[in-house]
Parts: sequence; C-alpha cells; structure tokens
Amino acid sequence: MKKSVLFFVFVVFAMVLASCNGAAPAGGEPEVCASDEFGCAKIPAGQTVKIGMGAPMTGDYASFGVDISQGAAIAVKDAGTVEGFAFELVAQDDQGAPEGGAAVANKLATDPTVVAIAGHIFSGATEAAIPVYDKVGIPMMSPSATNPPLTTLGSKVFNRVAFTDAVQGKFAADYLYSKLGFRKIAVLHDGGAYGQGLADVVRAEFTALGGEVVGYEAITPGETDYTATLSALAASAPEAVYFGGYVAEGVVLTNNMKQSGLENAVFFGCDGTFGAEFVAKTGANGEGAYAASLIPPESAAKLKFDADYLAAYGVGSGTLSPYTWSGYDSAAVLMAKVKEVAVLGSDGALYVPRGALVAAVRGTSGFTSITGDITCDAVGECNTAGPTFYIVKDGDWAQAEQ
Amino acid sequence: MEALRKKFSLTLPQNSIRIIRIIAALLLLALIIVRAMDVAAKSQFGADTWLRLSVSGLIIGGMYALIAIGYTLVYGILFMINFAHGEVMMIGTFGGYFVFEAFNAIQVSGADGNQLSFLNAYPVIAILLAFLAGMTIAALSGLFLEKFAYRPLRGAPRLVPLISAIGASIFLQNAGQLLFGPQRRQYINPVVLDRGIGWNLEVAGSTVVLTYTGIFSLILSAILMVGLYLLVQRTKLGRAMRAVAQDKKTAALMGINVDQIISRTFVISGALAGAAGVMWGIHNGLFNYYVGFLPGIKAFTAAVLGGIGNIPGAMLGGMFLGIVESVGPAVLGIDFQLKDVLAFTILILVLIFRPSGILGEALTEEKV
Repeated sequence: MKKSVLFFVFVVFAMVLASCNGAAPAGGEPEVCASDEFGCAKIPAGQTVKIGMGAPMTGDYASFGVDISQGAAIAVKDAGTVEGFAFELVAQDDQGAPEGGAAVANKLATDPTVVAIAGHIFSGATEAAIPVYDKVGIPMMSPSATNPPLTTLGSKVFNRVAFTDAVQGKFAADYLYSKLGFRKIAVLHDGGAYGQGLADVVRAEFTALGGEVVGYEAITPGETDYTATLSALAASAPEAVYFGGYVAEGVVLTNNMKQSGLENAVFFGCDGTFGAEFVAKTGANGEGAYAASLIPPESAAKLKFDADYLAAYGVGSGTLSPYTWSGYDSAAVLMAKVKEVAVLGSDGALYVPRGALVAAVRGTSGFTSITGDITCDAVGECNTAGPTFYIVKDGDWAQAEQ
Repeated sequence: MEALRKKFSLTLPQNSIRIIRIIAALLLLALIIVRAMDVAAKSQFGADTWLRLSVSGLIIGGMYALIAIGYTLVYGILFMINFAHGEVMMIGTFGGYFVFEAFNAIQVSGADGNQLSFLNAYPVIAILLAFLAGMTIAALSGLFLEKFAYRPLRGAPRLVPLISAIGASIFLQNAGQLLFGPQRRQYINPVVLDRGIGWNLEVAGSTVVLTYTGIFSLILSAILMVGLYLLVQRTKLGRAMRAVAQDKKTAALMGINVDQIISRTFVISGALAGAAGVMWGIHNGLFNYYVGFLPGIKAFTAAVLGGIGNIPGAMLGGMFLGIVESVGPAVLGIDFQLKDVLAFTILILVLIFRPSGILGEALTEEKV
C-alpha cells in the first residue's frame, strides 16, 4: 500500500516535471527523438532509467513474482550505468490477473522514465498489458509467459525469453532422436491442454525427423495403476516412452514400467514431471529417467548468479520458482539494448528513443546470458536455447548430456 | 375407447420385445466377436502381453470385488446405495499407511546384529497389524456412518438416505484432505513385499513379472471373500443377516435385533473395504484423500453388474470389471483411454438385457 502511494506521488511529480520541460521547448533533445515513431523517454539528470515489471507480488503466486523480480534486480545491479545514469527495477503487483496486468501497464506507461518492461509474468496478465505498451512503444521481454498465442497477436513490443510448450516439444523430439539415438518411441499424455499439446508436438517432430512413433495413447489422470496401458505399448517394443503431463502420473508410469514389459525402455518426461517429488516417489525405478526444465545448465554466469542470489536474499536460487534465471536474462537483454540506443542530450538528460528501442529489442541476436543464446525471431520468440534436459542419477536430478 | 387405445398403443406385445432383445444381444455379440477376431488376426499382441493384461486385471478386480461386496451387503439389507463406501476404503488406506510408517521408524537389531527397521525385521507382524489397523478403523467408520448418517433416516423415503450418503462421501473426503493434507503419500512396504518385483515368467521370449504385491493381494482378497461367504452362509450372524434382508418385520418378530444386525453389516462391509484399501496402498503405493472415489464408483458398477444384493455376484462383477478394463481394449483394438467407456457400456448393456445383473438379485423378496 505504502509503496503504491509513494509511486503515485512519484508519478505526479514526474508528470509535473515532464510538463515543466514541455513548456520550455525541448532544449538539448537529440535529433533522433524528432524522427522516432514514439518519441523519446527523457530521463532528467539525477534520475534513474527504470525497467518496469508486472508480477504477482502478493497472493497464491507471490513466490513467482518475488523470485523473478529478485532475479531481475540482480541483473540491474550487474548492468552498471548508461552515460552515468543508473538503472532501477520497478516491480508492480499485478496479482497475475488480466485486470491487474492492464492496471499495472497503464501505471507504468504513464511514467516517462520507464523505458522497458521485463514482464509480465503470467500469460493472462501479459495479454492484457500488451496493447497498453503497444500504444506508447515500450518494449517487453517476458521471462515466463508461455502461452503460445501471445506472439501471434501481432504486437511489435512483446518478446519473451520463456520457451513455449511447442518449443519444448520440438527440442525433446530432437533430443530423443539425435542425442539418444532412439528410432522407436511411444508417446503418452494425460489428455490436458499442456500434456497433449506437448505430446502432439513430440509425435509430429519425431516422425518428421525420421523416427517411428509406435504408440500414442492418452491416460486418465489421477489413477494409480497404468500397467494395462503400458503392457499394450510394450508389445511394440518402444525404446523410450515420452510422457506429456504432470509429476503425479509420471511417477505411477515410471513405477509401472518394469512390471509391464518396458523394463528396457527409457522414461522421458517434460518440465511437468521434473522435481524432487519424482525422485522421491520413484526411487530405484526412476533411475535413468529424463525430464526437461527451465533451470539453465551450469555455467560460470549461472554460478555467479546463484552466489549473488544467495548472498542478497539468503535462499538458494530456484527454491521459490524455476524462473529466476529467466528474470535475470529478460532484464539484462533490455538494459543492454537501452545502452545501445540511449543518447545523452546537451541538457544533461538522457534520451531513450522508444521506437528505436522496440526495434532493437526485437532485433536481439546472439545475446549470451545465463539461459543461453537469446536471439529473437520476427514475432518475438527469443529463446533459442530451449529447455535443459535432466536425468535421474543416483537418486537425484543431474544435468543430462546436452 | 379401450379398443382405440390398444390400436394406437406403442407398446409391442411382450413376446416380440423379448425376441427383439435377444436378436439385438446376439447381433452385438456377433459384432464383438467379429471385431475381436479381426484384431486377433492382426496379432498385435503376443502371449506375454495377454498374460500381463490378465494378471493386472485380476489384481485390480480382486480389490473391486472386496469393495463391491460392501455395496451389495448394505443394499441387500437396507436397499440403499452407500455412496460413502469408497471413502471408508480411503480411511482404511490411511490406517495401514500409518502403521507401516510407525514400524519403519522403529529400529531394532536383526538376527545378524544389524540395525534395521521393525518393518523389515518382522514383516509378517507388520503386515498383519497394518491390515488389522486398516480394517478396524474402516469398520469403525462404517459403524459411525450408519449411526449418524443413515439410522436417523431409516423411515424416510429411499432417496433421502441416498442424498445423505453422497453428503457423507463429500464430508469424509474433505475431512481426509484437512486432516492429512492434499499431497500424495507413498506406502513404505517391507522389503519382502517390494513393489514392482516378483516372480519372473518367461513367456513368448519376454519376461512377465508376477508382482509379489499383486499375487499377495489376489490371494488375500480370495481368502476374505471365501471367509465372508462362509460367514453369511454358515454362522448365526449370517443367518440373521439373511433374515433381515428378506423381511425386517418378520425377522424382528423372530427375536432378531434388526438395528444390531444392520450395524454389524456396516462393520463387515467397512472391514472389507479397509482391507481393500490397505491392499491398494501396498500394491499401487501412491494415494491421497481422494483414493477411494474412483474404486468406489467402479466397485458400485461391479456390484450392479453382478446383481446388486447378491454376494457371489459382487465378487464375479468385480473380477469381470477388472478383466474387462485391462483386457477389453486390447481385445477390441481400441485405445486404453476408453477402458472406462467400455466398462460403463457393458454396465448399460447388462442393465438393458438383464436388469437384475449377471447372477440376479439373490436376496430379492420385496424391494420397495
């Protein structure tokens, strides 16, 4: 509450400031601003360049918002300054809901010093926020909005480092075919939008690669015995069983495979089956099972981040949500692009041409960060690294060979 | 007027209805056989697959049968469906789980001086106590269910206790969620009954595993069913139960305490459901407060299939349903996701062609 009051005061203050400036016609405004489609964001001397974020900071999903904003805050610390101006993260609570998303977007869009948005977090809130930013030309880079249609809305400003289910399925099929060398797999799903979506992509991609999908079945979620389904699949001797769904059914399937004649087949899950619960409840049966995760592979950048995160917040990264690394990356990309386009005016203020920034973010190419290579395509899908695959080794998840 | 009504009546003579039914049944049967032969000709599955499917069906069928007996016993005596019966099974599952958990925590020194848990040092005692605990607590919940949810409604129209049963079912599910949490728990079995391992049979060049837990469950459910059958047929209590089922008023006149017999019926059906619950936990491992819902519905189906109110019918219905669910889709060459569709289609067919169930309602005298 206090924060939002402060924010309101700040907005009023900023508006007064902006209008004052307007009265004295743009003193040191660089030429680029006049030709820019959306004009310039002007950050007066002594103020910070703001990166906005709409995230669920309270309520059931607060852990996501808090975690992602903490990741982004570390990116802000790491980013340093642009022409002597420091960056600042402004994370606003949108409750993860569409109404909240639109409200936060309107708030942030009226702040002239907000130049880019590292968000929003939930797909629903993001969808509601996109048109607002579209109008004023504030580029977005969402760490976690995975709903596939978001990039088909025709928005110029929306981009994401999150990978969609379609991307995950494509990478999984490729991993099964090329990395593990399987040619015959069975595909199972739980009939849900998420699970079946993944399974369909895997089936299509694996077939396209030249492999054979020898079984494709849906299971009824919530059951505790899938031996009949698995026994029927075993008759066609698949080398691996891909499953799109959640950990509850993944555990039962893994436990049932041995007694169904699939003792030599590999269980290959998705990010829905990744987690400590899978290992705890499959025990020895789970050894050698695969899953996908957002958690990026170990690297110097990740180790540094993990140490910084622990030092700053007292908990390990990844304990609140699997998105914190993506939160770092989306903020990092945006700030790098701000540095590219920002121009110091002759009046000592920093000018960020908004249209140029929108184009620069969409044009991101070969930006390497914690989650890997970030290169945006024409519609704003920026994750080219895809998910990281993990395997159960000695009773714990270990990064699989990439 | 009467002649007019007869002329335009849509009801066919009794005889032709029976003939149409028989023809329809034969046609359906022929269709199924043709389809099955067509699928068999493609020989997608070997003997190993069929064996695996049958074993899995028998094991689950045994558990369905035990729960179905509870529905049938209560129906036979009170002519009501105890929809909270699945939740009684859930309570039994938790009972056995906590016994195993407790014994797993106790450390004793084994024969060779090694420290090991009580669970693995004395597995037989642990298993016996787990079943005892599961069956007792389930029997008690059956008893209280009858006392608080059904007895006050004894004289009410038949729909009223049915609604009360659905209410009791929801209440018990929510109580389970509040008490034990929504997370899924996993049975810790003694090593001798480890899940997923068992006797390995070489069939058609592949290994078929007859799991210890599965065979254990199957044998135990058979023993319990035989025991129940003897109880109902050979003991004084059984005779009293049959008498109450036949005619409450006359039974009371003959000196039978009807209320007591009804309570005992609930205790017996609860105990069987509790045993099924512990078996479910031992064999399948994972469970939570919702574990009783699906088996409850399936067992109810099984009871109706076999002929509700008929004890051997419930056993047969349970086994039949288990087999149909696991072997049926393979026989007809359809997706396994359709196993429930298949099970309920069979239920509807049985209700159309033989409304009293496969074995008929043995306890029928007056049902209204």
